[in-house]
Amino acid sequence: MRISTRGSYALEAVLAIAMMPDAGSVSIREISERTMISDNYLEQIFSLLRKGGIIKSLRGAQGGYRLARSSSAISVGDVLRAAEKSISPVICIEDTSVCGKSTQCAARNTWCRLNRVISDTVDKMNIADLVKEFAAKEDASGQDYAI
Amino acid sequence: MKLSTKCRYGLRALVDLAVYSESGHVALHEIAARQDISLKYLEQDFSVLRRAGIIRSVKGAQGGYMLTKAPSEILLSEIVSVLEGDLLLIETGEQDPTDIRSFLARNVWGKLNANVKDVLESIRLSDLAEEYLELQSGKEMYYI
Repeated sequence: MRISTRGSYALEAVLAIAMMPDAGSVSIREISERTMISDNYLEQIFSLLRKGGIIKSLRGAQGGYRLARSSSAISVGDVLRAAEKSISPVICIEDTSVCGKSTQCAARNTWCRLNRVISDTVDKMNIADLVKEFAAKEDASGQDYAI
Repeated sequence: MKLSTKCRYGLRALVDLAVYSESGHVALHEIAARQDISLKYLEQDFSVLRRAGIIRSVKGAQGGYMLTKAPSEILLSEIVSVLEGDLLLIETGEQDPTDIRSFLARNVWGKLNANVKDVLESIRLSDLAEEYLELQSGKEMYYI
């Protein structure tokens, strides 16, 4: 199973936004520098994130983007669904019209279980928690150098 | 998090093999016809599965394939990892991953990978074969 680049980049971008000092809004340029993702790609991702209600754009002289709601109210699942529409391992569980055999499919229950474990895992993680874990990891590695 | 077509078809073919190989080996074209999967796909999948030791081939004009172990001893995790490669792969590209990317690889994708693997390790090929048989017999009941 592959994680889509778009989904993983979207999560990196949202995490980067959440970690920016709280000085208002951030630009695509700043996030590009922080994440090493190209401006162009980020523009596409930001547009999806905006439509998905994860981030909002600010007008005016400041301009830029910020999270649309508190980082504790944004789950990893929210971000991935905004970037990719569907995070299920096979399309057919969400759209039975793609395959005429869904009522006879022996694998259907397995796909449903996989779908559930994926959703459960990503819906339980939120951006605020990730920011905290990231910071804790940074601190921990700093302590290694203390004599 | 999409499973590749190769993996989905390969799994269906293995379920078919588990069900129909009890009386001997099964020819690939039979599986292709029953499961409505292209022979080309099956040939690719089955060569991978054979190299991984999950199935073996019986040569000859009436040849075919058999499982190397009982379906109850084959975990879905084994099948998926053979057909998909490592369960979840992050493409790190040519550059070194950033600190954020490495962090997410461990704390998010790594966790997801582990949870998916747990589910796949709890399902055996025999479970799917049983479900397939139930569905088949269920169908016939409507024709009384």
